[in-house]
Amino acid sequence: MRTFEIKSPVYIKSGFTVVGPKEGDGNFGDCFDIVLKDDLWCEKSYEKCESKMHRDAITGAIKKAGLQKEDIDILIGGDLLNELSSTSLAARNFPTAFLGLYNACSTFGESMIVGAMLISGGYANTVTCSTSSHFSSAERQYRFPLELGNQRPPTAQWTVTGAGCTVLSAEKPKLINEQVYDDDIIAIDDSMNLDPKDVEKYKKSIEKQKGLINKDKSNIIEDNFHKEMNDYIKTNSHCVKVTGGTIGRVIDLGIDDEANMGAAMAPAACETILTHFKESGRDPGYYDGIFTGDLGRFGKETLQYLLSKEGITLPDYYMDTGASYYTPEQKTFQGGSGAGCVNTAFNGYILKRMQRGELKRVLIVPTGALLNKDTPLQKETIPGIAHAFTLESENFL
Amino acid sequence: MIDRIEYQKYVSDNQPKSPMVRTLIAAFIVGGIICCIGEGIGDILKLIFKDMSEKDVATWESCIMIFLGSFFTALGLYDKLGHYAGGGSIIPITGFANSVTSPAMEYNREGVFFGICAKMFVIAGPIIVFGVTASFIVGFIGYFVV
Repeated sequence: MRTFEIKSPVYIKSGFTVVGPKEGDGNFGDCFDIVLKDDLWCEKSYEKCESKMHRDAITGAIKKAGLQKEDIDILIGGDLLNELSSTSLAARNFPTAFLGLYNACSTFGESMIVGAMLISGGYANTVTCSTSSHFSSAERQYRFPLELGNQRPPTAQWTVTGAGCTVLSAEKPKLINEQVYDDDIIAIDDSMNLDPKDVEKYKKSIEKQKGLINKDKSNIIEDNFHKEMNDYIKTNSHCVKVTGGTIGRVIDLGIDDEANMGAAMAPAACETILTHFKESGRDPGYYDGIFTGDLGRFGKETLQYLLSKEGITLPDYYMDTGASYYTPEQKTFQGGSGAGCVNTAFNGYILKRMQRGELKRVLIVPTGALLNKDTPLQKETIPGIAHAFTLESENFL
Repeated sequence: MIDRIEYQKYVSDNQPKSPMVRTLIAAFIVGGIICCIGEGIGDILKLIFKDMSEKDVATWESCIMIFLGSFFTALGLYDKLGHYAGGGSIIPITGFANSVTSPAMEYNREGVFFGICAKMFVIAGPIIVFGVTASFIVGFIGYFVV
């Protein structure tokens, strides 16, 4: 039995996202808390920038939940870099227990499942689930140098530059206005014994970003989006709880093209969704929001084809966060991928919709392709994995 | 679940493919233009230095093209050209310069020794190895036959 139900309630206290400029121009552009103006964020390398984004996503989420660093019991998170370097480097800023996880792009699903289980089992009271990815650091690790003049194949996906964090807690969240002020984020840096010059630079970069946070986006492509999405003044009318999930199995159907990860991940997503419906006795109509991680446009079609062969039709509102992440004009071909993709789409878009009561019952299936740079060279095929977790929103009153 | 072979067939039949005609035409035109620029530089060299031998002109021409390839890589323009032209900008000597300069730029954050110097030939390494080996074999044969 891979499907489980969370017995004692686990609430989502807050979600916080930091993304790069390209993501800010994408379809979810209005939904993010911080959109960076450049993808180095005053740092010397992309890895340092990713770690900083990760750190600030965690700190932002803790602030947004109205908590202090000391109130968190366990940090749970991961990223795509070797030995989880950006997560570990971010975690050294917190006086908290840390669990590092890796399941490629589905790490966010894994961390939510682990976090919810820990709280439900009574082993922790408040945990943070965070992941991050950065286009430039992932390119260098998995593919070629940025300036190399090669062509990306049409099945390629674009690693999302973004970090997000969700705070899970056994306590019900309070009815609060969800805005985090920029001052809060600057205050974070003061406590970290940084060089005064760096703090100055940091403040300046925040100043520049102020204008970007509430940027108006009128030409949104997908129908699923609502313009008032990021109306910060609105208070949340609902609170969201994690109700259960299905832990994925590693599935390998022999795809060996590392530029076609959607096809490698789709069978795993299909298997997890089938198992979830079978073991929970539910059908797709039970949920009013079904989201997969980062299958991309072709992977989404493949998943729908695989499920239709098993006699399951996903409803019209089914959405792949990777496929919907960027606009077609951004030339990412299949859309977004990476550990930050489903995470920032969830914390920025899905969670906010649930908190407004627009979505009641949601199934989220983050997917991951499990490869490193050497396995395809050693003629290995690419296995995929997908974890599912379910959320429900309930009215505060 | 679907059969392994059936799934692989589905993927190879249905996955989006590169637009052959557009990419080939783009590669032909851009590659041709790069070679024309090279020839033009050779002609200008011949005009300026009238008593330079044909061999020296070719060497200087290659040096200038390598410089231009690295220069536009450093400006961040060569990869944009590469996204558009593909093989058209990879095959000429400027593409080779790009494949050496781009890792050098990428890894300069790990320091000069283990960063730039160690990683500079990550992509161009095989070309150099094959080039040296091939020239050694040809030279060996040439020495005994001719």
